[in-house]
Amino acid sequence: MDPRQQPLLRQRLGVLKVLAWSLVALLVLVYAWLQLVRHGEYRQLALQQAVKVRPIPAPRGLVLDRNGHRLVDNRRALHLVIQREDLPTRPEVVTALAEALVVDPQALARKIQSYRLAGKGRPLVLKENLDEAGIAVAERVRARFPFLSVEVAPRRVYLGDDLAGHVLGYVGEVDEELMKGKPGVFHLGETIGKEGFEAAGNDKLKGVDGQKRILVDQLGTEVANFGQIDAAPGRSLFLTLDAGLQKVAQDALGTEAGAVVVLDLRDGGVLALYSSPSYDPNLFLNRLSQDMVDRYLANKVTRPMVNRATQGIYAPGSTFKLLVALAALEKGIISPTTPIYCSGRKNFYGRDFRCDKPTGHGSLSMVQAIAQSCDVYFYELASRMDVDDIHATAEKYGLTERTGIDLPQEKRTRIPSRAWKKKAVPRDPKWYAGETISVGIGQGAVGVTPLGLARFYALLATKGKLLTPHLFYGFRDDQSDHLELASFTPPKDTPLDPKHWAILDEGLYEVVRGGTATASALKELTMVGKTGTAQVATFVDRAHYARQAKALKDHALFAGYAPRENPQIAFAVVVENAGFGASSAAPIAKKLVQYWFLDRLQHPLPAPRGKLVDPFAPQQTEATE
Amino acid sequence: MRERFRALDPHLLWAVLALIALGTLTLFSAGRNTPQATIWLKQTLWNGLGMVLMLLLATTDPRRLFRYSFPAYLLGLAALAAVLVVGRKIGGSTRWFMIAGQTFQPSELMKWITLLYVAQRLGSRPADEVGRLELFGAVGLVVFPMLLIQRQPDLGMALSFLPILLLIPLMKGLRARWLLALGLLVVVGGFGAWKFGLKPYQKQRVLIFLDPSADLQGKGYQVNQSRIAIGAGGLIGKGFTSGSQTQLNFLPVKTTDFAFSVWAEERGFLGVLLALGLFGLLLSRILDAARVAHTYAEAYFCAGAAGIFALHLLVNVGMVAGALPNKGMVLPFFSAGGSSTLSFFLALGLIMGILHRARLK
Repeated sequence: MDPRQQPLLRQRLGVLKVLAWSLVALLVLVYAWLQLVRHGEYRQLALQQAVKVRPIPAPRGLVLDRNGHRLVDNRRALHLVIQREDLPTRPEVVTALAEALVVDPQALARKIQSYRLAGKGRPLVLKENLDEAGIAVAERVRARFPFLSVEVAPRRVYLGDDLAGHVLGYVGEVDEELMKGKPGVFHLGETIGKEGFEAAGNDKLKGVDGQKRILVDQLGTEVANFGQIDAAPGRSLFLTLDAGLQKVAQDALGTEAGAVVVLDLRDGGVLALYSSPSYDPNLFLNRLSQDMVDRYLANKVTRPMVNRATQGIYAPGSTFKLLVALAALEKGIISPTTPIYCSGRKNFYGRDFRCDKPTGHGSLSMVQAIAQSCDVYFYELASRMDVDDIHATAEKYGLTERTGIDLPQEKRTRIPSRAWKKKAVPRDPKWYAGETISVGIGQGAVGVTPLGLARFYALLATKGKLLTPHLFYGFRDDQSDHLELASFTPPKDTPLDPKHWAILDEGLYEVVRGGTATASALKELTMVGKTGTAQVATFVDRAHYARQAKALKDHALFAGYAPRENPQIAFAVVVENAGFGASSAAPIAKKLVQYWFLDRLQHPLPAPRGKLVDPFAPQQTEATE
Repeated sequence: MRERFRALDPHLLWAVLALIALGTLTLFSAGRNTPQATIWLKQTLWNGLGMVLMLLLATTDPRRLFRYSFPAYLLGLAALAAVLVVGRKIGGSTRWFMIAGQTFQPSELMKWITLLYVAQRLGSRPADEVGRLELFGAVGLVVFPMLLIQRQPDLGMALSFLPILLLIPLMKGLRARWLLALGLLVVVGGFGAWKFGLKPYQKQRVLIFLDPSADLQGKGYQVNQSRIAIGAGGLIGKGFTSGSQTQLNFLPVKTTDFAFSVWAEERGFLGVLLALGLFGLLLSRILDAARVAHTYAEAYFCAGAAGIFALHLLVNVGMVAGALPNKGMVLPFFSAGGSSTLSFFLALGLIMGILHRARLK
């Protein structure tokens, strides 16, 4: 029974030996296929996942007001994070962590799961922008869950809180939609300006991101650096804004909704631009809570995200009468001294149009009509013109175009014309002469932005110069802290007749001296301007006011310039639902003028750090002489 | 003492020493800069212990071992049953005993004990005197521990018992109706297993094998990364401790199931050729032992052992290349692990004992 004597067994063992070597040969073939034939392809795949090009974010530039006071600063922010390699897997750990952080356990589990699938390179952020209390909580939680860590990252800080929310805007991560629209311009996770000057001046502020080629391991952790191009930080820059004047505007409007614009007549620089209700951009740096969305983004009642100064369209009311007067003078339909009689009402085309003063103003010249804000006088002027005449004049003096301010999504002022109605109201394209009468007193289809209104009064102040309002003042020389003045769009000359101008100027002077806004006169210098009272604009929610059973009170306006002899600033003030312009808007303008020409020089703000050279600075004393 | 060393078969010894050398280098590279940096040292200790056991068995008369195969088989079954009750649960399956801080996997040793016992039973008489009933009995002896192991669950380990059934065609030759029956069994068994027997993660493995690109981030990730590592190795490899897939941790479980990918990436096709050549020599020498064995039982044991080694080689080396489903079968002398290493050395010791006795006569 010796198996070696069994030929069949020996034969079969021989077969097994052949099979064994065939198996080895087969495996050799498989490896030859992978390692020799497809080597190039796999080498490429191995390189692709191990060698990455990562952006190095450039710090954004700071934003200073015209005197060097910081409006936007960069600070270090602390985030509570989990590194990818430390993600908890056991459900009971996730639940305990959620309890410790006081968040919904299921939401946290979902967050971890989606990060596990998609997130790469950056750790999972559990709590962002920890404040002092948050740091204390984080440290306590970290004692129990040592896999948590605290990460330091740069963060924007808006120092004035809601002082200049609409002007500054805020920053955030670039949207995927925006990235798709401009391939190659942005990279994932890049911080860009979302609103206000952060958005409009994004290119100036953002600097140039650097990049590095790095070797990463499976977790995306940097293992080696093959070389990098350093980021060039964004340049810090000055705005034309004056923080002090902005604060006066904010305090003067208080809780009222409205807008204030103050323009520097020398170059069109925006000295103050405040929209109320304002918002605090700092709140928008964190991921938005539902409460934030309800209070700001989706708030249809007060619309705090709308920049009322550049996006609010208001019927200008009586402030528009200056343009109607100018149109009439240029058309030659009336001599400024020709009196028109006001009995308190007048009938045009079978309809009664009433004046503000029911007992009537009596006989008025043009200067008197402006001073008394007589409606009948301007009905009469409008009735002698076509709406296209008024539109042509408005167009000539830049009122129909956008002002061109460096803020995003500026609205265009609306001055009606026959062509406009054909396009805007296709149901009823015909222009009725009665509509022109309403336009004569700045009602009807007329709608202006406070900024557009301020620009028109700047044109009157400068005897016909059309300014381009701007916020960008210049870059900061980082060595010296000095201002490198930017080049501005020079003022455009318009063919404003000095004789016509003199009448308008006189009329505005009379408004404050003996007309509708006498209470707002100042002893030290002459401020001139025009009051306005207009029916509520359509962009607020009428239904809300109806629900509140609150009367739709008129908007109050005041626009003008100061000082009369040597104008330096022009302004426009709108207070929503405040009633008569003289009693609510004009006093705000008075406060602005008072601060700019008097208080500011007597009680200057503490000087900012570093030296400043403002080419306009010496002129500021002239007003007090 | 010198007599004892003479019992070691030089062909097998050199092949195994060479494979251990490759395996140790692989583990050194795979463990670098990870919490398992000293795994090569630990594995060297296991290898040393294994060689001592191998020497002991080589100098033992194989007949004495066959004599103890039945009680050993019963003990093994008891251990498999016990591990289901008191075993340590790791990653969803209960396969290990904890003994003095070390995990011990009884199924590794049970595979060789089963082979030993089945070879002893079938080899007690010449092949043509073995009846059908005895053949079915042998099949039952193999299948019973497999079912216990599948309870853990550990399909890869259970399947590694299958080469023992190779003994039947070795004795009786291949018959067409057996192949037909086998084919039928695979179809019916496969369907039944898919429907009732397989765990979801096992089904997933099969699906991923059928279409690895369908789930690159999940379960297909491991095999995909392993293929990249192997392919990127090229002809001469990335160099020792220089494989990016290995060193940057793209390669998963690189000290156990995917150890061969580390070798393939860093030493390239030439290194693969060397390793597979050594495995070929090993198999070849074990089959030589079957031819010179003095008893049927010894011959059957050697043939079955060659089958088990060959299956491990095929499934592991094929799996890491993506040519076979991800079964979780270790590669002898490459994959780190105490129980499996000791078991392989014990088997080699027995085979050397068989060769030694054949030489003496």
